[in-house]
Amino acid sequence: MASPPVLEIERLRKRFGGVTAVDGVSLRLEPARIYGLIGPNGSGKTTLFNCITGVERLDEGRVHFGGERVHGLRPWEIAQKGIGRTFQVIRVFPELSALENLLVVTRDRLAAARERALRLLRFVKLDGLRDEYAGNLSYGQQKLLEFVRVLMRDPALILLDEPAAGVNRTLLNDLLEAVRQLRDRGKTILLVEHDMKVVMGLCETVFVLDHGEKIAEGAPGVIQTDERVIEAYFGR
Amino acid sequence: MSGRHVALAAPAAVALALAAYPAVASGYGVRATLQVFMWIVLAGSWNLISGLTGYVSFGHVAFFGAGAYAGAILMSKAGWPWLAAALVGGVAAVVLALVIGYPCLRLKGPYFAIAMLGLNEVLRALVSYFEGLTGGGNGLSLPTLDATIPIYYVMGLTAVTVIALTYLIITSRFGLRLMTIREDEVAAEAMGIDTARHKLYAFLLSAVGPGIAGALTARDQGYIEPISVFPLATTITMIVMVLFGGKGTVWGPVLGAVVLFVTQEVVWARYPYVHPLLFGAIIVAVVLLMPRGVLGILQIRYRLPRTI
Repeated sequence: MASPPVLEIERLRKRFGGVTAVDGVSLRLEPARIYGLIGPNGSGKTTLFNCITGVERLDEGRVHFGGERVHGLRPWEIAQKGIGRTFQVIRVFPELSALENLLVVTRDRLAAARERALRLLRFVKLDGLRDEYAGNLSYGQQKLLEFVRVLMRDPALILLDEPAAGVNRTLLNDLLEAVRQLRDRGKTILLVEHDMKVVMGLCETVFVLDHGEKIAEGAPGVIQTDERVIEAYFGR
Repeated sequence: MSGRHVALAAPAAVALALAAYPAVASGYGVRATLQVFMWIVLAGSWNLISGLTGYVSFGHVAFFGAGAYAGAILMSKAGWPWLAAALVGGVAAVVLALVIGYPCLRLKGPYFAIAMLGLNEVLRALVSYFEGLTGGGNGLSLPTLDATIPIYYVMGLTAVTVIALTYLIITSRFGLRLMTIREDEVAAEAMGIDTARHKLYAFLLSAVGPGIAGALTARDQGYIEPISVFPLATTITMIVMVLFGGKGTVWGPVLGAVVLFVTQEVVWARYPYVHPLLFGAIIVAVVLLMPRGVLGILQIRYRLPRTI
């Protein structure tokens, strides 16, 4: 607990009209750890992601990344500071090739960018398809491409929105292994996931949202037996 | 390498032939070819902003008109030589693009298109209102000068420059970033791409050519008036040319400009009343049957690079 947090969110609140999507949530993420963010549908998980990455403006609260204020910045500024994300629905650039999808992301010199991009494509076994339009790849391949696209900028914090959704077991194991490797290299990962097996097996700390509020936080084993969590998922 | 040589040699041969053409051509031939050059400049420039970023500029003729008026005022009121006036026409269009693009490129989807449409109408009204400078509705006459052949060369050079610029952009990472805006702007921003700045740069580049072409056209015709340099039909024509040829490619706008201009000339000469009808039919056919355009279809089917 001595090291400074990677991400610190304080009393974040976001309303859409009369609906409070995120209601005073505070989180603190330490470096080189894997965090899970769970909760029933509509509990505010994706909205929280959007507030962290600048897609939505927050109504109240603060977001600090590496000690620096990031709320109020444009999404591309936040990305350049080192927060990468994937989307719940795949958002590759369909009419760019797999390689180009990665190349556009960095401002490194082209030769260095190419080398890095090819290494990442090999990492997810897509190097044979590097000149294929991303839109022609299979769902799983697009998911992997989106995952390595995030890594092009070498972000310190990676937000994954439902990485396991629609991915077969083999691919999923590769993906989870890749996430662990990133953690071992000092990256912090926050993932939204509905697959409880994935959350319980991968995450070291889990945050639970319900109706926009954080109702629990702790190790997966502890969360599973938390009364408020059980109530949120199954009702009283 | 031989394919690459052909790709360089063929345009070079065409360019040489066109450079020699005025020596043997009729007056009509030179003026018609000059028009084709102008359409290549306009369609190619529209492709830079709208074909690459997907932001449809529905008032691109505004830059043509701004260049025409800036150049014509300098030539008629200040006695500037036409070549210098044409360059200032390009600069005037870029300044206008900066003033308009900065706020308007923040608008997404159809709102940008509508804002550009409005810009063109506003400019036309402004030009009509400031009679002292522009001659208002009476138009502006330039001193008599027959410069069609030198203008032919300068317009041709402008067209070549637009094509070359398109090639350079499309093969660069700057160009790829412009395409990410078209593909998925939210994802582009999440990946750290400053989309607003990229759109603005593309928009500025897309204004230069029409500005120069406007001033050159003003000089060649010797007379301009608000309705002759700000017609919505010109914007629509450049859009149709790009959509027909293939948006986001290097040669698509060129192909569209040549084919549509020639078709227009032939049909207009023989069946003046059917002409608008035919043009409308082409728009509908292109949008329905081949939204990617001729080269776009070839590109996908035969996996060709975007540099076609």
